Amino acid sequence: MKKIFIYTVLLILLVLAMPLVLSDFGINLATEIYIMSIFAMSLGLIMGYAGMVSLGHAGFFGIGAYTVAVIGQYVSNSYLLLLISVVISGLTALITGVVFIRTSKFYFLMITLAFGQLLYVLFWQLKPWTGGADGMSVSAILNLGFGEILSPNAFYYVMGVAFIIAYILLRLFVESPAGKITKGIMENEARMSALGYNVRVYKLLAYTLSGALAGFAGSLYSYFNVFVSPDLSSWTFSGQVMVMVIIGGVGTLFGPAIGASVFICLQNFISTYTERWPMIMGAILVILVLIGKGGIIHWLRYFKDIIFLRKQTDEGAPQNQVKKEEVVN
Amino acid sequence: MSLLKVENISKSFKTLQVLYNVSLEVKPGERHVIIGPNGAGKTTLFNCITNLLPIDSGSIYLDGKEISKLSPHHLVHLGMSRTFQKNNLFGDLTVEENLHLALVAKKSYRYNIFSPLASRSDIKKETNRILDQWEISSRRHIKVKNLSYGEQRLLEVLLAMASNPKILLLDEPTSGMSPAETAQTSEMIQKLPRSIALVVIEHDMEVVFAIADRITVLHHGEVILSGSPEEVRNNEMVKEIYFGGGAKQHA
Repeated sequence: MKKIFIYTVLLILLVLAMPLVLSDFGINLATEIYIMSIFAMSLGLIMGYAGMVSLGHAGFFGIGAYTVAVIGQYVSNSYLLLLISVVISGLTALITGVVFIRTSKFYFLMITLAFGQLLYVLFWQLKPWTGGADGMSVSAILNLGFGEILSPNAFYYVMGVAFIIAYILLRLFVESPAGKITKGIMENEARMSALGYNVRVYKLLAYTLSGALAGFAGSLYSYFNVFVSPDLSSWTFSGQVMVMVIIGGVGTLFGPAIGASVFICLQNFISTYTERWPMIMGAILVILVLIGKGGIIHWLRYFKDIIFLRKQTDEGAPQNQVKKEEVVN
Repeated sequence: MSLLKVENISKSFKTLQVLYNVSLEVKPGERHVIIGPNGAGKTTLFNCITNLLPIDSGSIYLDGKEISKLSPHHLVHLGMSRTFQKNNLFGDLTVEENLHLALVAKKSYRYNIFSPLASRSDIKKETNRILDQWEISSRRHIKVKNLSYGEQRLLEVLLAMASNPKILLLDEPTSGMSPAETAQTSEMIQKLPRSIALVVIEHDMEVVFAIADRITVLHHGEVILSGSPEEVRNNEMVKEIYFGGGAKQHA
């Protein structure tokens, strides 16, 4: 717990200090990374802590984004609008989840894929409201009571804070009784049921939280990008965020955020050199997945352990080694 | 009044009839052992009682309440829990974490999504009590998959006991154990408090007669006999089907 607290404080400091060294372009990129990180963490929650691999998660992102775009024409209060987005996407997750969580593995993958595509087509077809395939521009302006947020720096801090809040909420969930139980259900559903847990309630809870958070990310994106299109709910976007989760590290909370950062940085970096960037991107991702099985976060942990252990032996403290042996036994 | 009452339940998998009008009664605190050759339907009977498998006909009562339609997790809250024939644990978690998971099941805060589980002192206290009582405190931080087989079997029982049940179903607690481990387990089962009724599936005859108040013999999905250990020991038919024709040939 102490460790987690320290990491969280470090994370907050990092987010606050970044603009001091970043260019305008960098700040914009970081802002996008925060939004995508929230989205990736929401998918990472159900993939890594509930064992549900969804290929339709962009559906919730799209709901959040379109809620701000469409309802934002009539409602100007940003807090209210964000709340509406979260509630609508959360409710959608709750209602569809009741059906979806009855399936597992490939069937869950397929049914969520179908769900995402359904929303994609819906946004495409509801032309009078959503602008159809042309998309629509977002008229709502983010205002959290400190004036209208328009400058890159202001956006950076808002999204940075949103990211930290999302991270802390997810961390609380993962460490809470319900979170631990959900993880247990992922590991051994039959046993959890035999221990007296209503496993469906927990799966539904995780799915709903995840959907609501994805919707939150979508609504932030809507403000940031000032333009939404049906592509935000397409299955390729769902696939993209799944790639972020996998290269970052499934089964960790922060891994998907790292995955999102790496993905977006690579994408921006490579696309400045060639139009054929998806090809190079694909090759890099294949390599990342092949050699980094647990995801990038595990490399970081590995390096940290090397440094940490070396420090331990320097101090001549054998305590850590004894513990290690015990674990091996 | 009997605590668990199974009345004429039948179960078939497609054309294969596995249980045929099986009836069973367990009184509070009783040690009830179910024996029978492989394929007699013992584990299926457990799965039917705990509703992992729906029954075709018949009824099951716990404390006078019909439970055959209730979901497995519901039964735990009514005071019935079980273990599994094959170890069914959380291998990547430590002994302590396994116990935590089992203990939270009856807590009102099991749906809490905000406050850390690690800060709950009642769970810690109960975990320590269990670890001390069974003298496995030294193993608390070890991942369960690294425990010895015998220790895993013990943990299997401890997880089922965590919900403080009135009746505990043990599915072959000594399966796959060395003779020494079997003796230990038998001793452990005898040490379980009399406030818990036990229904045990067991193959090892020494263990059976060491713990049983009552024995039910199952053969091809039918109850052949249900009686005291003495009755079962002296019954010709049981000798024939369970202990095999071997005794005769030797004689």
